[in-house]
Amino acid sequence: MAFATARTLALRGAAGHLIDVQVDVSPGVPATTLVGRVDKSLSEARDRVRMAINNDCGRWPATKRVTILLSPADLPKGGTHYDVAIAIAVLAADKAHEELTPDLLDGWAFIGELSVSGGLRPVPGVLPMVIAAAARGIDRVFVPEPQAAEAGLVPGMTVFGVRSLAQVSAVLRGVEVPEAPPVVASSASPLATWRGEGRLADLDLADLDGLDDVRYAVEVAAAGGHPLMLIGPRGTGKTSIAERIPTILPDLTTEQSLEVTALHSVAGILAEGSGLLRRPPWFAPHHGASAASVLGGGSGRVRPGQVSLAHHGVLFLDEFPHFRADVIDAMRQPLESGEVTIARGEEAATYPARSLVVLAANPCPCGNFYGHAGGSHGCECTEVQRAHYQRKLSGPILDRVDIWMQVRPQGPGRGRGFAAPVESSADVRARVEDARLRQARRYRDCAWLLNAAVPGPVLEERWPLEPAARHLVEQELADGRLTRRGLTRVHRLAWSVADCAGVDRPGTAEAGAALVLRSADPSRSLPAGVVSRVAS
Amino acid sequence: MTSADAGLPADRAARVSEADRLARVVLSLAVEPGDVTTSSLVRQLGPQGAVREQLVPKKGSGLPDRIREVDPVRELEQAERCGIRFLVPGDAEWPPGLDDLDHVDSVQALGGTPPGLWVKGPMPLTELATSVAVVGSRTCSVYGEEVARAVAGTVAAAGIPVVSGGAKGIDFAAHDGALLAGGASVAVLACGVDRVYPQQNRRLLAHLAAEFAVVSEQPPGSSPTRIRFLARNRLIAALTRGTVLVEAALRSGALNTVGWAEQLSRSVMCVPGPVTSYVSQGVHVCFRRGGASLVTHGSEVLEVLGASGQHLVEVPRGDIRPRDELSRGDQLVLEQVPVGSPAGVVSIARQTSLHVRDADAALRRLESAGFVREVDGGWRLAGAR
Repeated sequence: MAFATARTLALRGAAGHLIDVQVDVSPGVPATTLVGRVDKSLSEARDRVRMAINNDCGRWPATKRVTILLSPADLPKGGTHYDVAIAIAVLAADKAHEELTPDLLDGWAFIGELSVSGGLRPVPGVLPMVIAAAARGIDRVFVPEPQAAEAGLVPGMTVFGVRSLAQVSAVLRGVEVPEAPPVVASSASPLATWRGEGRLADLDLADLDGLDDVRYAVEVAAAGGHPLMLIGPRGTGKTSIAERIPTILPDLTTEQSLEVTALHSVAGILAEGSGLLRRPPWFAPHHGASAASVLGGGSGRVRPGQVSLAHHGVLFLDEFPHFRADVIDAMRQPLESGEVTIARGEEAATYPARSLVVLAANPCPCGNFYGHAGGSHGCECTEVQRAHYQRKLSGPILDRVDIWMQVRPQGPGRGRGFAAPVESSADVRARVEDARLRQARRYRDCAWLLNAAVPGPVLEERWPLEPAARHLVEQELADGRLTRRGLTRVHRLAWSVADCAGVDRPGTAEAGAALVLRSADPSRSLPAGVVSRVAS
Repeated sequence: MTSADAGLPADRAARVSEADRLARVVLSLAVEPGDVTTSSLVRQLGPQGAVREQLVPKKGSGLPDRIREVDPVRELEQAERCGIRFLVPGDAEWPPGLDDLDHVDSVQALGGTPPGLWVKGPMPLTELATSVAVVGSRTCSVYGEEVARAVAGTVAAAGIPVVSGGAKGIDFAAHDGALLAGGASVAVLACGVDRVYPQQNRRLLAHLAAEFAVVSEQPPGSSPTRIRFLARNRLIAALTRGTVLVEAALRSGALNTVGWAEQLSRSVMCVPGPVTSYVSQGVHVCFRRGGASLVTHGSEVLEVLGASGQHLVEVPRGDIRPRDELSRGDQLVLEQVPVGSPAGVVSIARQTSLHVRDADAALRRLESAGFVREVDGGWRLAGAR
């Protein structure tokens, strides 16, 4: 038999496909052909594999005709991680290497890029590939040594972290594994002097005095996964409070953790030895960022954007009206459906993007306009400029934002008096965890986890408001202060408010609070009793 | 009833006879607060006479029995041990404002000067002569809480004690705001001054009793009831020179306090809210009824309460722009100076119906003020390029 099959995987968005690398080595005009819709980086594999075999592992069948077929052949393929599978299949198909018979390759998957010397270099996306392999019944996998830990996160998978092609071959044949120089871990290394990394870890909600209603809005947003907009003049603490949102989110569940880690793996930003990401991620792209960086894409590989990297975490878009119009527009999909599809030519990749989206905006371009009485506010914008800026805050995106919160300037150095002491992140997180537990119980047989994702009609039918609360909300609709879409959002918010308060079904109090949270009208303020639970 | 010669501090007994004081203790313990019959009996017959009159058995009334059960000397001693004093009219510390209650009509069948006041705390009630009440809804909004805090803070910082009802919501914010500003605050309760209601305000009430004063017409140990809250409201209005209302729904008890303040000819000040807000509806009704001053800041409360011409508040205005200060003629000319291609003085004069000489003079004035500049072919606005 002069052909062999080795398995590897291809990633399309977050979906992994099992790829059969079939190699035929037979007499004929000496040549090497690689077929199966391969892109440039993959077609270079011919040369990498030939050199690796020659230098590390016997001889390339230079006098034979070598045909390499990647199947399914109609799936576009790119990337460098096919190298090992191709090399092993060539070795097994070539009769010159008798001990490595094609049947030894059954049940294995091979992932890794080869160097000229036959060393295995790390590749992005190992975790999602191994997850996909496990789903297709493969239980043994070769990966580059630095990524063995990452691959080992998948339960039930036997992982072999190897340094060279010769080692792969030796393991397969069951002979003694030869020595090989260690593999270069990854091309990136953090700047030695950069020490800002741990900054976010030290933050706590207790650092912020006042802003009680904003803290409450953030708590509800975190509990139900509601997109949140913070509007306020410069220096009122919008960023400070947004940065602290991850501190009130519960740890990721194992399932979520695998999803997030896999996405980071695809993007190639997983630090070596970081293991599963347990804490919700935090991403805050600058307002000059391109659509490819925020939503995904890029030249060559379709990389997940920050909106996907922040999956199950927080995506903070500060100075939202200053973002590029195409980014603002494209945010619609992740806000609505919790995923993002990047279509390019015939290629379309879909990544999950169910992050807590937090937007922040100034009330005017210069950021000094308070919008209420209180003497000179030092705003230099004209009415026209303000109106133009405000227009960016309206429109279809902002219809999809559940919570609108005004962040007002705080009086100078006010203490707490006999009011309840400022709660720490841990206190709030405990309530958020409770609220999420209630949602998990309620939605245990459903496809969604959080209130913000419940489809409107299902919500109406299975989890209605109390009749009085329903009446209150319909009244707003009749008064023209709420749209139909807004009504559904208020309904979801009312459930989150109830979940935070430990109430079994939203009544008028919860619906009232939800209406205020949803309203962009700065003159509507939350009931004080909801915001500060304990007075002393 | 026991005899009247119990050992009481001599200074208190100086102007009020012991028998009268003990009779008032009896009335305070036996009669529900705001009982108009009792207060008018006290007015006509004196406290002892009132007690005697109420002892006459009436069909269906348990009052005589209740009066007989009371041991006023023991009650006073017990109160004293808890640091609670009992004030009666005629005492030096008795707030004279309360006497006004005998001269106005009753509201909801409640009214009259209370037989006495139970007070806990070091602050003499004479200091309430300048005080102001800040009251409002218990279920207030964040807006109401912030305004109440700010108003109470400004007022208290000016040395004026802030009186409120010690309840949740606006009451709490008013007390807390006054204390944070370093001022004085007094709570008037519907229960005994040794009781804590509501529990949430435990720390606040303890602080007020330790540093300032907690006041009630209810004897120690009594519990709060709906009627007692209504009766208490008249004391808040009577003890102060004016009442500030921050957020009240249509059925709020705070509206009752405002009603009393109106009856007693005290100043009524209201802080408006959004017209869409449920918790400000009662406030807006007050405005529409007339008689209430609109206040938006503590300084405006000071202005209303101060003597004529004192604490005047500067009227807030929009920015004054340089254009506003031009004469009417100059403004007319300025309107006709184009942004783009310059216009000659003759055409400007024609459009403004001015003599060329006057238009030219106006343009020169506007030029020196920096509004317009002369270029080849005429005049254009200085800001334009």
